[in-house]
Amino acid sequence: MNIQQVIRTINQMHADGIIESYAIGGAVGATFHLEPVSTLDVDIFVSFRPEPGSLLISPQPIYNYLTARGCATDGEYIIIAGWPVQFLPPTGALVEEALTKAVVYDVAGVPARVFTAEYLAAIALETGRAKDKARLLQFIESGILDASTFKDILTRHALTGQWAQFERQFLSDNL
Amino acid sequence: MTTDLQTILESKRRYRQRLAARPIVEKLRMLDALRERALLLRPAPSSVVREESTSNHADKIRP
Repeated sequence: MNIQQVIRTINQMHADGIIESYAIGGAVGATFHLEPVSTLDVDIFVSFRPEPGSLLISPQPIYNYLTARGCATDGEYIIIAGWPVQFLPPTGALVEEALTKAVVYDVAGVPARVFTAEYLAAIALETGRAKDKARLLQFIESGILDASTFKDILTRHALTGQWAQFERQFLSDNL
Repeated sequence: MTTDLQTILESKRRYRQRLAARPIVEKLRMLDALRERALLLRPAPSSVVREESTSNHADKIRP
């Protein structure tokens, strides 16, 4: 079980032209900015290439590529270096923008493309489940968010209402 | 040792900050270890426990 090997594999997929760009999200992405956030899987957001002769995007080349290299599948997961990995298309404008603004970290000489803290926090707010709100609180309490950048993202993606509600629910007593 | 809640919370906050400041390679190794421990504690028929997925998005893709 080695998450660094997962990152090396994703980079190789990019170098081999299987994916256009990628960014690590979810708990693993958050771990680049916060304390380690326990998780059972890895979320990789990717821009898919259209299939030749088709305008439709498909994850099939990813699965073909990885299974040809010995990776097993398990439902919607593909197992890389012992980690269940999910490849996710951008599900909206926020995630699409987050993909373009992702930053590269050096992991012992291996580049890893990761969503910025501000985009991870905004995505957590947009997704809105209990554990997403908990993660958003972690980002806020860590003090690492650039307030101006974060508010700008919220404004441009129509998330100010959700933010106001979040503030009322979780931050009103703490500020 | 203290029983003062504010002191305890502040101690926890400082500990989290120290963990966050560790080198990323070390933090990723911790994720490997945390997952192995979680699987040991909660054995499942599959290595994947879907209801515990930490993914942000419900609309997963399938090949």
